[in-house]
Amino acid sequence: MNKDLVGSLFWLGVAVFAAVHGFALGLGTVQRPGPGLFPFWGGVVLGLLSLPLLIRALSTAERLSLSGIRWWTLGLVAGALLGYLLFLEPLGFALVTFLFLFLLFRLEHAGWARSAMWSLLATAGSWALFGLWLKTQLPRGPWGF
Amino acid sequence: MEIFQGVLYGFQVALQPINLLYCFIGVFVGTLVGVLPGIGPAAAIALLLPSTFAASPVSAIIMLAGVYYGAMYGGSTTSILVNIPGEAASVVTAMDGYAMARQGRAGPALGISAFGSFIAGTLSVIALTFLAPLLARVSLSFGPPEYFALMLLGITLVTYFAQGSMLKALMMASAGLLLGTVGADTISGRQRFVFGIQTLADGIGLVPVIMGLFGISEVLLNLEQAGGRTREIFASPTRGLLPNREDWRRSAMPILRGSILGFFLGILPGSGAIIASFASYAVEKRASKTPERFGTGMIEGVAGPEAANNAAAGGGFIPLLTLGIPANAVMAILLGALMIHGLQPGPLLVKQAPDVFWGIITSMYVGNVMLLVLNLPLIGLWVRLLKTPYQLLFPLILLFCLIGTYSLSNNVGDGIVMLVFGILGYLLKKFDFEGAPLILAMVIGPMMEEALRQSLILSAGSFTIFLERPISAGFILAAALLLILPLITRRSGVAKAWRSVPEESAE
Repeated sequence: MNKDLVGSLFWLGVAVFAAVHGFALGLGTVQRPGPGLFPFWGGVVLGLLSLPLLIRALSTAERLSLSGIRWWTLGLVAGALLGYLLFLEPLGFALVTFLFLFLLFRLEHAGWARSAMWSLLATAGSWALFGLWLKTQLPRGPWGF
Repeated sequence: MEIFQGVLYGFQVALQPINLLYCFIGVFVGTLVGVLPGIGPAAAIALLLPSTFAASPVSAIIMLAGVYYGAMYGGSTTSILVNIPGEAASVVTAMDGYAMARQGRAGPALGISAFGSFIAGTLSVIALTFLAPLLARVSLSFGPPEYFALMLLGITLVTYFAQGSMLKALMMASAGLLLGTVGADTISGRQRFVFGIQTLADGIGLVPVIMGLFGISEVLLNLEQAGGRTREIFASPTRGLLPNREDWRRSAMPILRGSILGFFLGILPGSGAIIASFASYAVEKRASKTPERFGTGMIEGVAGPEAANNAAAGGGFIPLLTLGIPANAVMAILLGALMIHGLQPGPLLVKQAPDVFWGIITSMYVGNVMLLVLNLPLIGLWVRLLKTPYQLLFPLILLFCLIGTYSLSNNVGDGIVMLVFGILGYLLKKFDFEGAPLILAMVIGPMMEEALRQSLILSAGSFTIFLERPISAGFILAAALLLILPLITRRSGVAKAWRSVPEESAE
């Protein structure tokens, strides 16, 4: 396994998917191009471009190295982002923002008290900036904030 | 005298108190973004876009444009003081600028980059003033085939100037074209790649994609390795900022050359400020009598590239304002911003919305003056900001991205799109693919598809229409040459030179 093998296979997959979907939408005729024409040919071109990369990747001995990456941290950050989006509307801006910030401050080893204080300040500050000043419609929770 | 009247009118618009305020906010935020590594101008403009919905189109664009050229100023400060370019366009500035700072000459380095940026910014705006209306008139005669050919050339240029492999850049461009087709087809109304997902019905939003690719993924990259980013700030720079007579003598020609080079490279799609600064550095090194001393604190190596990246920021507006085609990711969002405000950028803009056209151009003169006044006294503040620990900064960047996308349409779906593209952007960087060609192709894609289909309808299905019309044939030929050239020879020195840009700062 090396970088380019993964990359080329991924994009080859995307290309096949696009071409099949485009074909299903209908290519139309050259005089009256259909909605699928552009996606189909886009997929074909992407696929053709992936092939040389795939061939080159198969002939190199270089190996994919992913050691030293803090997958847990990255996963937690991605999870926190997803959680924020899922709970924003049901729980309201203030609570979700506080929890989100608190988790992330803690993640990079800020102390409990300091994390709580920063989160509180940042939540209040962002609410003032976006809610009051820029008049963004920030969702309220069942408790009204 | 039409241009003269236009400029006068533009100043009337740009100097209105409300527009002065927006311009000030723009350049201030821009400098801030330029100073802080981890968030670039593209993500910052995308973030600010929703906050301009209530403003008039002129004010909105004046502010967003200010962020862009303001970031070019801010980026140099961190390059010189801490050897960390806040912006990719300031990577070369670090080479000699930081060396100057180590010799205790941080002041003159900061000073010459601010003055050089100001002079170049002003020169490029003057050139823009004269060239833009002219080009707008020429492009009025463009039909769908010319537009299609021009956009094809644009995308080819982007991949040609790509940092890494051109093959991968071409793949990214094709993927971007595919992403651009998501949503309802403009001609038949059929849904493409939607699969019942409501958020995708109107196409994938540009703002969430940019915030994901350039905002979220950047944070993930910074977090992937353990160990905080500790930075040591070198000199106390707040005194002696003015370059001396000798500095000026040595910098005059580099600033002039950098301005011209930067302006023209800025016009070309895909190259923009980053390439311009690298090209200028290479030119100065060649022009110098002592090229071996570059990298040891030569003021020419600061003045030239700093002038070039600012001039390029101005030049980048030309294709946007005259053809409606964005030259880089930042221009792509500005294009989106104009359209959100009900304006169609292109040759008709100067006629249909002269206040916007001339207002933007003249606001850049005003903005450049503000930046000069803002930057020199505030360097102390920027230095203090740089000391903000990343553990405090990154949750706030993420939060701003979340609120920014949510406020676009009060829809969580856009946030999910941002998250997906954030993860994709992280993986793309891990696997040596670049985001810029993808973004550009995604924006240009729908316009290109429409032009292609209109052309084919015009010609009753004959592809020769693109070769029968001289202008479009010229564009196609140029694109073909760019594609074939790398197969025969190696890519140009410029494209090669800037492959040494540290990857994490490539946007």
